[in-house]
Amino acid sequence: MPAKMNALQQGFIRCHDCGYLVKKINQQSFCPRCDSQLHERRPHSLQRSTALLLSSFFLYIPANIFPIMTVNQFGTGDAHTIAGGIVELIDSGMIPIGLLVFVASILVPTSKLIGISLLLLSVHFRWQINARRWTMMYRVIAFVGRWSMLDIFMISILVDLVNFSGVQIIAGPAAIAFAAVVILTMFAAENFDPRLLWDK
Amino acid sequence: MNSTGFDACPECDLLINLAQPKIGEKVHCPRCGLLLSQPRKQNIERTFALSIAGFILFFPANLLPMVGISLLGNANTGILMSGVISLFNQNMWPVAVVVFLASILFPLVHISLSLLISGHLYFNRPNRYLVLWMRWMQHLDEWVMLEVYMLSIIVACVKLMAIAPLKFGWGLYAFIALIVITTLLTSTLDKQLFWRRIEQLRKDNRHAS
Repeated sequence: MPAKMNALQQGFIRCHDCGYLVKKINQQSFCPRCDSQLHERRPHSLQRSTALLLSSFFLYIPANIFPIMTVNQFGTGDAHTIAGGIVELIDSGMIPIGLLVFVASILVPTSKLIGISLLLLSVHFRWQINARRWTMMYRVIAFVGRWSMLDIFMISILVDLVNFSGVQIIAGPAAIAFAAVVILTMFAAENFDPRLLWDK
Repeated sequence: MNSTGFDACPECDLLINLAQPKIGEKVHCPRCGLLLSQPRKQNIERTFALSIAGFILFFPANLLPMVGISLLGNANTGILMSGVISLFNQNMWPVAVVVFLASILFPLVHISLSLLISGHLYFNRPNRYLVLWMRWMQHLDEWVMLEVYMLSIIVACVKLMAIAPLKFGWGLYAFIALIVITTLLTSTLDKQLFWRRIEQLRKDNRHAS
């Protein structure tokens, strides 16, 4: 076996669902073990990932400028954006929790958007990169994405518990946009095929 | 992996020819460093046991009150579903649907599939749907977000504790236990072993008939 050879160059396709290694014979398109469709690489990886990423970039704007929730106290409403909620937490002395929400709601989504953009650009323009390091970056992006749902679940809890005749918490329009950003970037990461970083 | 013993790394496509790793060994891809396999002993038995425990815990975790709050002489208690309903009532149905899927439906389906699959493998019972269940379970993996929900409960409680007294119910304890079980389950379940066993069952069944 030649050293450091891609399976595809040797005529093998790895089933995406069950990991079965199949010798590529003309147009064999289904995995003999699990019947799922075989693809050399994720189909239309770059196009799909780019489309999902662009949509999340657009939705990222309303997610950050509109209020994510409003606290109604005896007739007066106090609307918070994502950033505003964090500032308030830190102001009232809850620094660790404030930092946690900052990481989950601002740092992770922003670095994810930038990270996936870089991955897509590097493959599209065939940048000379350290593929191992960039694969690591991909893994981190794919792993942390779901933790951004923190804010969405928190709203669902707060809206449910703080529902009294005088005091109420109402979810704001940014919640929909933010949930969409998290889900779309998760799909974007899922559709990106890290093996493209190694194909030369 | 196939019968020839060759395998390809799922993330860098390096063609590898490895001997079957022993129990307790870890195999990393020599090129990109991905953890390729880590066989554990009694994998199917353990997965089956954890799935039963998780399936049972799912119900108290969802039906018993989790957190109670009292403010201005009124009291409210919340469960997973009541958060979804509250969002729905505020016309936030897209968010309500997302919360419902990630914290209730997907975890239930995931644990049921894991119970079905490991049960069939444990009793050596072939079933033509095993392959399909296995594929569904893998696709759901990423969308089961119970541990994220747990972190949200903590943040929400810290926020609320500043304004009103809170009471924690049995639902919360069941939920914490459920998260421990599902975390153990995802780290235990050896997918490659499961796929090999499913293939084996299929072959045996074909020879028998």
